[in-house]
Amino acid sequence: MAEVALDRESGGGPLRAMGGVIATPELATLRTAGSQAPGFGIRGWIRVLLADIRRDWQLYVLLAPMIIWFAVFLYTPMYGLQIAFKQYSLFRGIDGSPWVGFSNFVTLFNNEYFLRAIKNTLLISFYSLVFAFPMPVILALMFNEIQHNGFRKIAQTITYLPHFISVVIIAGLVINFLSPSSGIVNVLLAKMGFEKIYFLTIPDYFRPIFIGSNIWKEAGFESIIYLAAIAGINPALYESARIDGASRWQMMRYITIPSILPTVVIMLIIRIGNMIEVGFEYIVLLYQPATFETADVIATFIYRAGLQNNQYSIGAAAGLFNAVVAFILVYGANRLSRRVSQTSLW
Amino acid sequence: MKRILSLALASALIAPQLATAQEAAPKIVDKPLEMTIHMHFRDKYVWKDDWPTAKELQRLTGIKLKNTASNATTISREAFNLLMASGDLPDIVAGNELRHDFVRYGMEGAFQPLNDLIEKHAPNLKKFLASNPEIKKAITAPDGNIYWIPYVPDGKYARGWFIRYDWLDKLGLKAPQTVDELYTVLQAFRDKDPNGNGQKDEVPLFFREPNSELQRLLVFWDGRSSGSDFAHDFYVDGGRIKHPYTGDNYRTGMRNIAKWYAEGLIDKEVFTRGARSREVLLGNNQGGMTYDWFASTASYNTSLKDKVPGLKFMAVEPPASPSGKRINENRRSRMRPDGWAMTVNNKHPVETIKLFDFYFSPQGRLLSNFGVAGVHYDMVDGKPRYKPEILNGKAPVNTQMWEIGAQIPIGFWQDYEYERQWTDQIALQGIDLYEKGNFLIDEFLGVSMTVDERQIFDRHMPNIQTYMLETMQAWILGSRNVDKDWEGYNAQLKKLGMEQVLAVMQTAYERQYR
Repeated sequence: MAEVALDRESGGGPLRAMGGVIATPELATLRTAGSQAPGFGIRGWIRVLLADIRRDWQLYVLLAPMIIWFAVFLYTPMYGLQIAFKQYSLFRGIDGSPWVGFSNFVTLFNNEYFLRAIKNTLLISFYSLVFAFPMPVILALMFNEIQHNGFRKIAQTITYLPHFISVVIIAGLVINFLSPSSGIVNVLLAKMGFEKIYFLTIPDYFRPIFIGSNIWKEAGFESIIYLAAIAGINPALYESARIDGASRWQMMRYITIPSILPTVVIMLIIRIGNMIEVGFEYIVLLYQPATFETADVIATFIYRAGLQNNQYSIGAAAGLFNAVVAFILVYGANRLSRRVSQTSLW
Repeated sequence: MKRILSLALASALIAPQLATAQEAAPKIVDKPLEMTIHMHFRDKYVWKDDWPTAKELQRLTGIKLKNTASNATTISREAFNLLMASGDLPDIVAGNELRHDFVRYGMEGAFQPLNDLIEKHAPNLKKFLASNPEIKKAITAPDGNIYWIPYVPDGKYARGWFIRYDWLDKLGLKAPQTVDELYTVLQAFRDKDPNGNGQKDEVPLFFREPNSELQRLLVFWDGRSSGSDFAHDFYVDGGRIKHPYTGDNYRTGMRNIAKWYAEGLIDKEVFTRGARSREVLLGNNQGGMTYDWFASTASYNTSLKDKVPGLKFMAVEPPASPSGKRINENRRSRMRPDGWAMTVNNKHPVETIKLFDFYFSPQGRLLSNFGVAGVHYDMVDGKPRYKPEILNGKAPVNTQMWEIGAQIPIGFWQDYEYERQWTDQIALQGIDLYEKGNFLIDEFLGVSMTVDERQIFDRHMPNIQTYMLETMQAWILGSRNVDKDWEGYNAQLKKLGMEQVLAVMQTAYERQYR
């Protein structure tokens, strides 16, 4: 994804190859023409495509694995989505199970705990967007300002490392740090004269703990993308700014930030598209019945209500709902971004 | 090669012995018959035709089972789902936690009804089911057919209460016989520094599984926590299905548990301490009392001998509730939801039911419990006795048995003798103590629902359980108060459909057990 963004920056060729079939202007006109004369349009479209393939066949070969991957693993399984409208039985199969219309959706949306899970999912995502999303950007800017090369490398490595630790271990660390008897946080609180707190059983603390530990885990790794974007900025810009007498702060403000802004926007759009998906394993590891109130998200709800009880149809209905909402969010964010910043995914 | 050779040698050595003891039963088939089996169990194992027990089975009955389950997946449930979705069914399907699938897909036509076959060709099974009518009822589907043969465990007590007798001695206290006495003992554990390190760091009551075993405390106030082998399950009270987390005894129990928690008698970190808390709290000489498995809990007396001198962590009888009842709620289930079934594709139903029957014959029970005669056990005075190399082996005996294909979740009848031989003396003493007190109670073996009943149940029960558990924890932690919440709690349960769930459970129960 990062490369897409970066290449767009330099207006490079690979983008043309990857999305070329759709994005080249000639084809856009052809498509409008096609709506008037379908037969000609499709034939023309294929002719251009074939000519394109003949000319740039190496690029299409490079593209092929990805297209096959999408077709096999993402488009083919869509056939199974219909079980959201069926009373699915494994033995009868997808075709043999009876249709039940929207009853699975009705069941879901009459369920106050599903609604609560939606609310929690959106809230966790929203707070993540506000607090966690800017962190890697800030981190990347900070790394960029470090003069000492060795120190910068060490600092970067240290911030990347948590990304490679399994969530099971992260959850264990969090539980230990927050333990009311021996956890470092509570020991410090007690030293400063405060009451000890059993953090992980109090609903109000769940979101800060979840989001905070996620920042610690992922911010360093995510900053790589922005560091790459910063590395791609033309050094001549800085040189001329320096000649003009710009301070480091001004250079960051007027060169670095505007240059990486398109990358930031693309990442934001992707992030918004994933808003409805909150990592499920980590929540399952951290939550307690006592914190369901704020911690129960759609994924954990489906896990408890659907998979544990083999309610595939309900699970599929919730999954389809997820996908529809995610699509609307991505589409909306993309439009908004195109209007506001002239940067967009498509 | 070496293994095959030694196996061949072993079977040559034991052959004469078997000729007298076991050759009496005729083979099921004259010509060798190979059938296919899908068996993926406990997320880890598949049926192997080179298991010593599988080879012995072939020798004794003439039937060879060939596995079709892929060992590549590490989730048995997914392996089963994939099998059902593929529609390519083998002759036999086996595994753990498949009870409701056998019934559901049996009614949809995936598995053959066994009733007539048992009647005609399975004398041992027939006898077993006749003398265990409850199990027969429990495996019967709503349409009256039997589609599967269960794994039938043996033995009575699973978990029990354990307390630090050395602490009791040190503080001059007796083992508590009533809840009030227990309350005093736990307070003394908390306040009088029984571990003698000068710090008030004792944890009087702790639980390794806070979301199922902590709730056993409810029994002390005449409540219940579960009627079956599964946490938070329904129980039967005078022919009525009830849920343990309803009713006045539950309220009283929660009030007291919350009080004990607030007073520091229950581990403050009970909900997050995790699976190793028993080891940690005993090893640090901090934990006073718990509810856990007899065998594994007793074993800490040996393994922590050097670290905690004088450790005497032994079983104590459940204290009497205010009404004078003393019960041990947890027990070894009489029937696991594991077992096997024959599919519609099976062209040898008679041979298959004879195979199922074989495992309920004396010969089959020996094979499925102890392994191969002369290799894993010997008959001593007419009783099977594990070889010393098995009893003193590196891995626990049950793990060793799984490796050779014994004690696996097919339809078989367990013999507790298998476990008694390698159970710690302290654990056996504890079990005897419970045996004498007769604290065992009847269990609810679960119901099989029709599709419509299941739908109602599935629509409401996950929410009800979510609500029950989060409220319960809030009460224990003290963030909410059971007495203030009580009316709202009952109203919410009603709103979430508790009555409908109880109604379908009751209908299913009456159809199945009356």
